[in-house]
Formats: sequence, C-alpha cells, structure tokens
Amino acid sequence: MSADVKKILRLSFILFLICAITAGILGVVNEVTKERIYLQKNAKTIEAYTQVLPAERYEELSFDKAAFPTVDQVGMASDGSGYVVQTTVSGAQGSITMVAGVDNAYLCTGIAIIEHSETSGLGANAASSGEVGVKFRAQFVGQGEDIALSKAGGSIEALTGATITSNAVTEAVATSIAVVKSLG
Amino acid sequence: MNIKKQFQEGLITNNPVLVQQIGMCATMAITTTLFNGVGMGLSVLIILTCCNVVVSAIRKIIPDEIRLAIFVVVIAGFVTIVDLLLQAFLPALSSALGVFIPLIVVNCIIIGRAEAFCQKNTVSASFFDGIFQGLGYTAVLVVMCVFRELVGSGKFGGGLIDVANGFRFTLDGTGGGIQIFPSEYGAGIMNLPFGGFITLGLLIAVMQYTLKKSAKKKALAARKAAEEKAKQEEDE
Amino acid sequence: MLTNILAISLGAILTNNFIFSQFLGCCPFLGCSSKVDTAAGMGLAVVFVMGLASAICWVIDTYILIPLGLAFLETLAFILVIAALVQLVEMFLKKSVPSLYSALGIYLPLITTNCAVLGVVLLNVQNNYNFIESVVYGVTGGLGFLLAIVLFASVRERIQFAEYPECFEGFPICLVSAGLVALAFMGFSGMKIF
Repeated sequence: MSADVKKILRLSFILFLICAITAGILGVVNEVTKERIYLQKNAKTIEAYTQVLPAERYEELSFDKAAFPTVDQVGMASDGSGYVVQTTVSGAQGSITMVAGVDNAYLCTGIAIIEHSETSGLGANAASSGEVGVKFRAQFVGQGEDIALSKAGGSIEALTGATITSNAVTEAVATSIAVVKSLG
Repeated sequence: MNIKKQFQEGLITNNPVLVQQIGMCATMAITTTLFNGVGMGLSVLIILTCCNVVVSAIRKIIPDEIRLAIFVVVIAGFVTIVDLLLQAFLPALSSALGVFIPLIVVNCIIIGRAEAFCQKNTVSASFFDGIFQGLGYTAVLVVMCVFRELVGSGKFGGGLIDVANGFRFTLDGTGGGIQIFPSEYGAGIMNLPFGGFITLGLLIAVMQYTLKKSAKKKALAARKAAEEKAKQEEDE
Repeated sequence: MLTNILAISLGAILTNNFIFSQFLGCCPFLGCSSKVDTAAGMGLAVVFVMGLASAICWVIDTYILIPLGLAFLETLAFILVIAALVQLVEMFLKKSVPSLYSALGIYLPLITTNCAVLGVVLLNVQNNYNFIESVVYGVTGGLGFLLAIVLFASVRERIQFAEYPECFEGFPICLVSAGLVALAFMGFSGMKIF
C-alpha cells in the first residue's frame, strides 16, 4: 500500500514539475509578447476609427448598454466633427466587429470591419480590400437611420451570396446612428 | 532510419492526412485561401518538430504511466507559444485561423507522432520526422487551398500575393490574390464546408488510386522477374 | 435571456453545427460512424463531456485564470481539465452506473482528443458567454454532434450497397457523402430567432 502511495506521489510530482516548467516558459513568452499583442489589437480599432472619421484623438463616451446591447464603445472625435461607434453583431458564421462613423447630422461617414469570421469569397468580401469590398462599404456613406437593403426598400445592394452578412452590417450601421442620436 | 526514406514517408507513402487519415478537422476547415493553408501548415510543422525533439529527448526519463499526460502538456506549451507569437507578430493570420491554432493541441498528428515515433527513436531522427511529416501536412493543405480557391473564386494565392500595386508577397493577409477568371463564374460552394469535404475526399481517392497503381506495377514487375528467373532456371 | 439561449441552442444544433459548418470533431465523426448504435453511443458521451467541460472550464477561467492574469495558460489548463474530467467520468461510471459505462466505455478515452470538446470551451471564452450560456452552448453543441453523427451513420450504412469507383473505398466515399449531408445542413443557415 505504502509503495503505491509513494508511486502516485512520485508520478504526480513529475507531472507537476513538467507543468510548472511549461507554465514558467509560457510566462516568459507572455511577458515578451504581451505589449505587442495589446498594441496590435488596439491598433486595429484606432486605425478603423481614422478610416471612417479622421481625427487626432477620440474621447470615449458612456451610453445606455441595456438599450444598445450590440454597441461596444462610442467615441467622439476631438475636433467635434462627429462620432465613431464600435459594434459587434452576429453575421452568417460568427460575430462581426466593425466601426461606423456618424457625423453631427446623424449620417454615416463610412464603415470599417475590424474582425469577422464570414465565409471567404462570400461574406468576407464585406471586409476585403478588393474592388467588391470597397464598393460595398462605400454605399454606406451618407446613409441615415432609415438605412436598409435594396430588398427591404432601401438603397444598399447586398453582396452576392451574402445577404445575411450584408444585412448584419446594415443593421449595425442603423444601430450606430441610433446610439449617437440617443446621446443627443 | 535514413533521411530519404523518412522524406518519402512524410510526403507520400505515410502522409499524415492522405494515408494515416488523421488531423482532418483543420484540413477541411481552414483551406479556403493559400494564406491560411501555408500559415497553418508551417505552424503545425514548427510545433510538430519542437514537440518531437523534446519528447524524444525526455523519452527515457518520463514514467510510462503518465507519458500521455506529459506529451499533452508539452504540446499545449508549444502551441501556446506559437499562438502568442502569431498574435504578436502576424495578427492577420491569427485572426484568420482563429480557434484552430489552439486546437492544434488535439490534432492527432502531433500526439500520434509522439506516441508512435519519438518514443522509440533518437532526437535527430525525430527532428527529421517532424520536419517531413509537417511538410507532408503543409503540402496537402496547399493543394487543397489552391484547388478550392481556384474553383471557388477563380483566384490563386489569396491573402499571400498582392497584385493591386505591382506583384508582391504580403504577410498581413490583405493581398487580393491573382484573379485567374472572374469570381462571379466561380463555384462559391467550394468555399463552404461542402467544398472541404469533397476536396479532401477526392484528394484521398486520387492518392489511393496512385498508391494502388504503383503497388500493382511493382507486383507485376516482381512477378515478371520471378517468371524470368524460373525460366532461366528451367533453361539451365 | 431566453431568446438568447434559444438562439445559441438553435445555432449550435443546426445553423452552426459543430461538424458540418465548423469542422470540429471530424476525426471521431468519421471514425465512429460505421454503425448507428456506436454512433449514438459516441454522440451521447460527447454531449455529456461537452456540457460538463463547459461548466468546469468556465468556472476555472473566470475565478482562477483571469483574476490571476494567467489567461495565456487557458489552452494548457483546459486540455488538462478535459483529460482529467474524462478520466474521472470513466471511473465514476465504472463504479456507479456500470450499464452506461459498458455502453460508452470504449469511446470515453477517445473524447480527450476530440477537438469539439476543446473547441467548445475555447469558443465559450472567445464569445464571452456567461455560465448559463456556456453550459447551454456545450450541451447543445454536443447534441448537434449527436444529430450529425447519427444521421451520417445511417447514410453510411446505405453506402455499403452502393457502387462506386474502387479508389473511393474507405474514407473518400465517406467524405464525399459527408459533404452532401453538409450541403443539406446549409439549408438551415439564415434561420434566426429574435
């Protein structure tokens, strides 16, 4: 019996030692990469902000999260030219994180998609730098709160084979304008 | 173990995906653009090689009862390192592959090689095994990506090659790829899960056909040789 | 809250089925689907482990890893939890529910390397699900797996009577038929509850 206990103790000690070594190495790697990962992640948001509404700085505003559950954050351009809204909505394959710019007349100034997991070649075109993507995103400029897909009587042409994605992006823009309006 | 034989095994006769038929999930899931395929393949290659070396280096000091647990810890360690490095230096690849990078932990290729090969072989043999098996895996991913991308959206090298401003390679995943025919004429279904299943099925079928044919050829040649030998003996 | 849970369940079972749209858990899916009974056994075992793993990993992540700033150890911690959990479940079933153990027995150890289990746990973290959402996603994801593997096993039983080129013997013909089932599942995409 005591031999058994000894053996179990020895095995658990070895396993624990290996786990500790691995965790130690990972800790070091994490220390080294932490700052870069943080910068990379936020660089995307800030770059997206400047794409849709250029400004020097953006001031974060508080909003009613319960009324707008899909809105992540709202920023106000430092020169007062408008607002930037980051939303996360569900697309065809997963969530889409995007930024929409809204000017003081509550019209969209442009959109940029930060993260998505849409089907490559279909929904992913919404975020692509190719001609299709640029054309799709350009449609949103100047749209107001009554924005809708052409199927629903609006003027946004959906991406071929990606109605769900197009609809999700359109709804996100409508929400962004609504949240800015709610701020007054 | 000679290197040439290992090379042949990793790429063709004992290819992890086509012959051993393991590690299929990621193979079918991420092979939509060349960028994903090359990125995933190289990540697996690096992790596999590191794990192989470490496992074969410690193979004599780990107790047999808990070897699987130790393998899993070693693999998870390397996977996390690669995951963190990708997030820091190649964020586009990291977000394109998403959950499939941490899932390399349960990719049967790595634990399978640790259990079947590295436990019994030297460090250097395991090192080459890791490289060649990794190359074999990468090759399959690349073939699948090229096929699915071409048929699905008429492109080559999506994410990896940028032709918008002159021909150049990109590592940030923004390259549009070379448009071979307009994407409107592509069979978009190849980009969907269906395309993954079908492409891999066809690829394994081609592989089985080739292997069978070469086995038949060998058998035929062997029989001919035997017949000739018998004839010679008869003549004598 | 309720609509949210409904949406998660429907997504996990049909629209974003683990096998047919996310490719998680393909190895056991192809390996254990030659007969309907074994497929059902495997599927049930996966439902059980996925639900339990979601719950335990959520607790560990929220109350241990994140407060200590050790989020980078998630993958390592989760795989160890899953491996230990599978062992415990095996021991527990062997002692207290031997009938269930003999039904699931051989599949349990295989589940550790099922990427659907680790996948669901990682996706819970990625999607910022709370405790209830995580458990619901785990269980319904497992149910989606069960549905897929049972459906596919019935298809495979028919394949035996089909004629196909010799070189498609074995895995290739399975993959091609799985592709066709995936195509059928695409019919669910676009369904939404709000």
